[in-house]
Amino acid sequence: MTAQRHREGSGRADAAGGATDDDAPPAAIAVDGLVKRFGTGPDAVTAVDGLSFEIEPGSVVGLLGPNGAGKTTTIKSILGMVLPDAGTVRIHGHDVAEAPREAYARVDAMLEGARNDYWRLTVRENLRYFATIGGVDPDSVADRHDRLLEKLDLAAKADEPVRSLSRGMKQKVSLASVLASDADVVFLDEPTLGLDVESSRTLRRELRRIVDERDLTAVVSSHDMDVIEAVCDRVIIMSEGRIVADDTVPALLDGFETRGYRLASPDLTDEVVAGVRERFEVTDRERVGEKTEIEVATDSDGFYALAAHLRERDVALDSVETVEPDLEEAFVEMTGDAGAAGGGEP
Amino acid sequence: MTARRSDPVATDPGEAGDATDRRRAGYRQLAKAVLYREYLIFVRYPANAIGGIVVSLFFFGLLFYGGRMLAGRALTDSIEGIVVGYFLWTLSVGAYSAISNDIGSEVQWGTLERHVMTPFGFAPVAFLKGVAKVIRTFVTSAIILAVMLVLTGTTLELNVLTVVPVTVLSIASVLGLGFAAGGITVLYKRVGNWLNLLQFGFIVLISAPAFDLGWTKYLPLAQGSALLQRAMIDGTRLWEFPAADLAVLVGVAVGYVALGYLVFEYATRRARRLGVLGDY
Repeated sequence: MTAQRHREGSGRADAAGGATDDDAPPAAIAVDGLVKRFGTGPDAVTAVDGLSFEIEPGSVVGLLGPNGAGKTTTIKSILGMVLPDAGTVRIHGHDVAEAPREAYARVDAMLEGARNDYWRLTVRENLRYFATIGGVDPDSVADRHDRLLEKLDLAAKADEPVRSLSRGMKQKVSLASVLASDADVVFLDEPTLGLDVESSRTLRRELRRIVDERDLTAVVSSHDMDVIEAVCDRVIIMSEGRIVADDTVPALLDGFETRGYRLASPDLTDEVVAGVRERFEVTDRERVGEKTEIEVATDSDGFYALAAHLRERDVALDSVETVEPDLEEAFVEMTGDAGAAGGGEP
Repeated sequence: MTARRSDPVATDPGEAGDATDRRRAGYRQLAKAVLYREYLIFVRYPANAIGGIVVSLFFFGLLFYGGRMLAGRALTDSIEGIVVGYFLWTLSVGAYSAISNDIGSEVQWGTLERHVMTPFGFAPVAFLKGVAKVIRTFVTSAIILAVMLVLTGTTLELNVLTVVPVTVLSIASVLGLGFAAGGITVLYKRVGNWLNLLQFGFIVLISAPAFDLGWTKYLPLAQGSALLQRAMIDGTRLWEFPAADLAVLVGVAVGYVALGYLVFEYATRRARRLGVLGDY
């Protein structure tokens, strides 16, 4: 299985920026030849190494990579928060370096680990303030703010200071304030960081709904693969400052042939399992009460052979489950040891 | 004048009607938003402002009563000058620390980036934030001035048309220093305590005219302090000052604001180059 899966057709067009032909609208985000090094001399670190990709309007792209892969540097370079050493970034055709005001007029971002809003103001005051900062008269979008707060279950807390809210609600306020100015390109860096399982699930469900309703272009960076799978249309996987995979989530998973089967039976004795190991790749073995569960990596033909092998040894199976590869597995395989260490970036 | 926003955003059919209603915000709305935010924090968290007023008055009380015990009549004779100088010092410290600390807080909260990304450009937002801080400091320093006058039984000439412009131009130079300090905070982060030491230098700058050295008038606060003393103690009106003195006052104000903003611009650009903008 090769880790190099850069799909040229994933929204890529002409490298310079924009569109496949003169009539087509420019890409929502076009990154071309982005390079960023930190430090000088032998100690210099190349955080982003010649990155190029395009994102179509209305698509949601997950940006994945292990620690130090260059995800945050890429996002900050697109936003102009980091000045790249080479390359260009265009947002809806506007060069971020040459025409930042035009580019920023349609962009907002929720950055990793930051509050992103004022905790001493109320939820609604934050939305009004950041709508104005984003270039929109808050009175003209007051109704939209009300609906946004309702969608995020924040309507009852609209007039409470943010500091008095729970962690999960603060995170939602941060998301709401990013959407307050009606930006159509948003960057969400670790949007579920620090949330409990339930809050994380709620936020990603609401995020997907808002993305669909508003036809947003979004770039989501997260170590939480469930967020990426639930929200994103396409995934870019980075490692050591480069793209190692760029495709839709189903297409990424389809390429993995390491499907497996999980079998459970009280008859899976040490001797039986040893026999299975001689002919098949057993990837996991676990004792659960009276039963033993084993996971075998094989395709469907292999499964029939495995079933026959077990029947010959009078093994009565309690259950058989198909084990599908998930995004995390794909991620770890593509990024090697670095990916196994974790998807987050400090 | 309005911020440029390229085209409508909402494409959701259910929200399309709203998209047509949406208006671009102009600089008037931007000013209103920035000033209103400052007002909200001021009235909602009065303990900060009251605490600042109490501490300032406590130190003035020490200075006044302690000085009277030690220096007796000599201090009483120069009390008008001390009151005016202390008023200007509280204004300067308030404006300087407010803007430099505010930038530091924005870095810490992750809101600085959102101000840098605004379609208005960061300069107008930063300028309006500075104006908001100056207005807020004026309110608290006016209260301190009133209490000082009651406490000392002193009377001063308070011609608003003279005192306000001279005071604003005086502390504009300090605002420039505040922007520079804010820029250094963006670049080096936790240096706020060191930068706050500069506040004690303001005492020297406010006293500088007493040294009667010509070049000191080009330092922040010095010329403004001299003119404010004459306005509030001698009753000199704005139009009675020599044009050259006013020109120096305006030049110093504009010069230090420009210098402060350039330092801030340089520091934030360097922070972006090093990738440390907003990393706290």
